[in-house]
Amino acid sequence: MKTLEISGLHKQFVDSYTDEVVTAVGDVSFAVEQGEFISVLGPSGCGKTTVLNIVAGFEKQTDGSVLVGGREISGPSPERGVVFQSFALFPWKTVLGNVVFGLRMRGVPRQEREPIARQYLDLVGLEGFERKFPHELSGGMQQRLGVARVLANEPEVMLMDEPFASVDAQTRRKLQEDLTGIFESKRPTVFFVTHDVDEAVFLSDRVVVLSSRPSQVNEIVTVPLERPRDWRSVLDDPDFRHTVTHITDLLSGDESRVVQADLDSA
Amino acid sequence: MSVSTDRARPVAGRRRGWKHRLAQNGTVRTLGPFVPVVFLWWLVAELDVFPSAFFVGPATVLAEMADLIYKGILPSYLADSLNRLWNGVLFGMLIGIPAGFVVALSTWARKLTWPLLMFFQAIADIAWLPIVIVWFGFSLTAVTFVIVYTIVFPLMISIVAGVEQVPRDVIRAARSLGAGRFRVFTDVIVPGSLPSVATGIRTGLGYGWRALIAAEIIIGSSGLGFMMFDSRRAGEVTGVFVGMIVLGVLWFALDALVLAPFERSTIERWGMVKTAEVGR
Ligand SMILES: Nc1ncnc2c1ncn2[C@@H]1O[C@H](COP(=O)(O)OP(=O)(O)O)[C@@H](O)[C@H]1O
Ligand SMILES: [Mg+2]
Repeated sequence: MKTLEISGLHKQFVDSYTDEVVTAVGDVSFAVEQGEFISVLGPSGCGKTTVLNIVAGFEKQTDGSVLVGGREISGPSPERGVVFQSFALFPWKTVLGNVVFGLRMRGVPRQEREPIARQYLDLVGLEGFERKFPHELSGGMQQRLGVARVLANEPEVMLMDEPFASVDAQTRRKLQEDLTGIFESKRPTVFFVTHDVDEAVFLSDRVVVLSSRPSQVNEIVTVPLERPRDWRSVLDDPDFRHTVTHITDLLSGDESRVVQADLDSA
Repeated sequence: MSVSTDRARPVAGRRRGWKHRLAQNGTVRTLGPFVPVVFLWWLVAELDVFPSAFFVGPATVLAEMADLIYKGILPSYLADSLNRLWNGVLFGMLIGIPAGFVVALSTWARKLTWPLLMFFQAIADIAWLPIVIVWFGFSLTAVTFVIVYTIVFPLMISIVAGVEQVPRDVIRAARSLGAGRFRVFTDVIVPGSLPSVATGIRTGLGYGWRALIAAEIIIGSSGLGFMMFDSRRAGEVTGVFVGMIVLGVLWFALDALVLAPFERSTIERWGMVKTAEVGR
């Protein structure tokens, strides 16, 4: 049984001002195996966030189905934890309080919460910051906290929507490497949304390449890289460069098709 | 380049040093700005710009204040005023806070009450005094009514604004960490809207304070507002001056002892607002 199974997903929005119907997601199907790191990649505005929001249970699809562990999802649930681009931490809770929150909500006994939370803070490299408040951390550290907060809940799948898009390039590299390390040691199932080809290839086992709106799955690319991975050796790896080139071609081919379609319709 | 700045820094640092230390001193920072004001006041009084029946100097006011305290009039009036304020604020918050959250969270409650809220907020608190006197007479109930009325609306409106300010992602994060609607309310909406709620309480208290004085001037038989009005009736401007100064000092004390410490230990500690006052 697949951990996450998306089939025939379709989503339309009705613009509240113009009453215009926007098809954000055309027809998207793919499945994620347990312990797999999968990225959803596509040009911006192609509906990646919309797919993630539907899987998270924040929004309802117009058509199609999302199964987690074989069961149809209904609404948000701790089995599908989300790491946000905006971090979305609780500013009024300490670092420890943020991680403990999910455990509290799930009714984990009080005395068990703190050891679990500390274990995940160690995992993301935040030991010693337990009593700080989120605004006292750097952007990179805030997102580490975002990851720890989700992983502490041991979700079926961790959903990440461009989680490193708002940190500087230097920190982003480090965060990507550390995420890979965490993935390799813990093997959570990860559903990662990005528009950065290098990032997707570096992190993932497979990359789902979406076409531009109304989005469909263009191709699912398997990444032929060994684990453990780090940027230094991956950048030297011809397989990495081939995969990146292949995906870049897929995306730009899509772009030129759009340009062609625009010319045709004009 | 770097050498010259390095050499210049200690000098500038030392010179900035004592000014900086002076500016850091709490008493100096709080009372400093009043020095020129009091001096100007003293000067105007000393030069007899206005007849002394209209305008008295700091020394006269201070003497009168000491006298009023000694006679026990000022303390007892002050206690009366504070008691009324406390009554009004307590009931105002007991009504305003739950009502604010209900209106903020329920779409239909908002649709139903928003026009009413706007309408009643527009009627100035003091405009209620005539009818309140008819209903409740010259009583504590009448004063409390006016203060409650003044506090409830700004409080409700800032709660609605505060709830809207809670980022959607933070609510979503809580939901996907396993929080149900009730826990989202208690653990996310309430603390998330606190900056705005704190502003609402501040504004409400300020309005309530003014409403109290106005109410005491019109329907009081004791209290600070009554004292000021009574002095005026007796042609005693000194009493009016004393009342005004006590009002200012009290607000200062309320801010320093209650509001500011509360904000410092919550929303400022959490980095949810810029510190309310420069350099605090
Ligand atoms: N709540 C919404 N209402 C209307 N249109 C929306 C809404 N959310 C997204 N869209 C539209 O759907 C399309 C896809 O958006 P999104 O999923 O955010 O794309 P991506 O994450 O790939 O950049 C965009 O054209 C966007 O304008
Ligand atoms: Mg997006």
